[in-house]
Amino acid sequence: MANQDVLTQHIGTIRKTNPVARIIGKVMIYVVLTVGALVSLFPFFWMISQSLMTLGETLQIRWLPAAPQWENYVEAWSRARFGEYFLNSTWVTLGTIVGLLITSILAAYAFARIKFPGREVVFTLFLATMMVPESVTLIPNLFMIRGQIIPWGNWNDTFWVLTIPFIANAFSIFLLRQFFQQVPNELWDAARIDGAGHMRFLTQIVLPISTAPIVTVILFAFTGAWNAFSWPLIVSGRKWRTLMVGLYNFVSEAGTETQLLMAGAVISLIPIIILYIFTQKQFTQGIATTGLKG
Amino acid sequence: MEVPKQNEPQESIDANESSHLDRSEYPVPDNTEKQPKRGLGFQRVVDLVTAYSFITPALIIIFLFGLFPIGYAFYMSLINWNVRKGAFIGFRNYLEIFGSWENLYWVLGGVVILIIAFIVQGRIEKAKNEFSKYSWLVFLGIAAIAGVLFSKGWSAMMETGDKSFLQSLVNTLYYALGTVPTQIIIGIVIAYLLYQNIKFKEGFRLLYFLPYITPAVTTSVIFRIIFNREAYSIANRFIKLFGMDPLKWRFESKPIMQLLGFNIEGFWAGPSLALIVIMIFGIWSFVGYNVVIFLSGLGNIPKEVYEAAEIDGATKWQLFKNITIPYLSPITFYLTLISLIGTFKAFNHIYVLKLPSAGDSVVTASVYIFERFYKFSQFGRATAMSMVLFLIILGLTFIQNKLMAERVFYG
Repeated sequence: MANQDVLTQHIGTIRKTNPVARIIGKVMIYVVLTVGALVSLFPFFWMISQSLMTLGETLQIRWLPAAPQWENYVEAWSRARFGEYFLNSTWVTLGTIVGLLITSILAAYAFARIKFPGREVVFTLFLATMMVPESVTLIPNLFMIRGQIIPWGNWNDTFWVLTIPFIANAFSIFLLRQFFQQVPNELWDAARIDGAGHMRFLTQIVLPISTAPIVTVILFAFTGAWNAFSWPLIVSGRKWRTLMVGLYNFVSEAGTETQLLMAGAVISLIPIIILYIFTQKQFTQGIATTGLKG
Repeated sequence: MEVPKQNEPQESIDANESSHLDRSEYPVPDNTEKQPKRGLGFQRVVDLVTAYSFITPALIIIFLFGLFPIGYAFYMSLINWNVRKGAFIGFRNYLEIFGSWENLYWVLGGVVILIIAFIVQGRIEKAKNEFSKYSWLVFLGIAAIAGVLFSKGWSAMMETGDKSFLQSLVNTLYYALGTVPTQIIIGIVIAYLLYQNIKFKEGFRLLYFLPYITPAVTTSVIFRIIFNREAYSIANRFIKLFGMDPLKWRFESKPIMQLLGFNIEGFWAGPSLALIVIMIFGIWSFVGYNVVIFLSGLGNIPKEVYEAAEIDGATKWQLFKNITIPYLSPITFYLTLISLIGTFKAFNHIYVLKLPSAGDSVVTASVYIFERFYKFSQFGRATAMSMVLFLIILGLTFIQNKLMAERVFYG
């Protein structure tokens, strides 16, 4: 005990040696962190500021609009059709999440809690798809949805073409399986005695205690679907154009009306920002747990 | 600067995260093994039917859109497929990319020797004998041979192969070299500062992470405006503070070294300013990801190690250099390779930020492949290139898995 005290005292004296240096160090930390945070934030500030300017103001050296032009948002929503794209993106995102939850909860349960022949092989095949770059799958998938491989007609520019390819992925199954494996066996034994099958055990016991991993899956699915670009770019037309494709087309086609573009950009960020603010902890924990590179 | 203390309330979240990270790294006990065996085969049949009906929806989707396309892409790459399907031509699409097989052997030989050099260096250093300190000389010697082989094959490829695709690989390499180390260094510094006993820790982390989770298309659109060539663009206003003349930024196809006044051609002329703008975007958007991963790694370093070193009179810088950096080396290695693989996959922000006036200088591999099939309908050639890209990514993943055990050491 006495030794311990000497030790802590010793550490204490080292730490207290130079108060001036310590304060300077502390200030430096805040300065560096604040500069970094400003760099992170600046593009967003610029987006909002420009979205409220008149067209003339966007072409001058101005930091803020003289008077905020809220009608830019009305115009972006209706005339620039960002409202329509917003709804398309919303439906596609919700559809993807619902589909993904159904397929991955069922599959993850089977992989985690049922022993069946072929389990390891199928699971490994699933995981292998995580390494494949989109460049490889994009072209065959384009032929697939045009009905050129399986004759099921052309799905171009439909709700289905934007959702179905994404309603199952190895990552979500892997994440949920990790969690389902940790559900104690005693619960399953008890459920069996009560005459419950796998489906009832899954829906009544496993799911209610699995909200944390399910929220993580929803978060990744939401950002994945909402931010998707290359696939919607090649398969969506006038009817199902998503917000990201709409933004890209607006810069490459119209290009000059910066204030409307920036209003569209703000609109495209709102759902993600709201989601992020409310689920910040799950977001960062999910990333740290999985090491996923989006 | 202050060394992280134990029992700080702010650290609880980080500690929480790290325990999550641990859990995913260690094998989870497989509960299914312990399931009581039912005497009758009936239960096993029920299990089999249930299991397959549970995985069928996912299996169908992943097979159709994830597994089957790999095989079909390979099949397409063997066919002369421009707009319409043509004749089966074997590996000629690949041959046209490389110029000749001999070129490819030289290049691959160089890569293999480089990997050998890396392993040999690691072994010598690990042996901890009198030669250990010369291990880097050995590495440089063998790597020089690798370099000669590689550049011989590569320059022949550039002459006889698909120059544009190979240039897109060079651009990808520039992009990787410009972004990956910068992201890692900034990430480790910010994570280290955030880990200190400071206020608003959560707020800072929220802000740093924002660029990573927001859609790349949206933020790229904002960067398009910031890095415009007009004198009033933000980027030009910023450099004016340092007395510099306006630059063309995204519109500039000239290599950076030539812009700086050096008369250099070829690889060493460096990336174009337009590609550098894309790199700046890449760094800006991915630093937050690295910060989060490094923060969880910092939570895993035992506090006792710091305290012991402090008693020995180590300075803050020594603590950072001799404890923090070595302990984080597995994470650094992981992030380096994951980011490297990411640069070969990167598409969205590059596609949105690139302009025709910047020419080929901003076209990276994945963007080039996309344009080959989307604009020019060269399906056979595009799939062949995508298979090459896939093999590069597989190689990097292999290195990640195999060399990690070989090279990474804890303090």
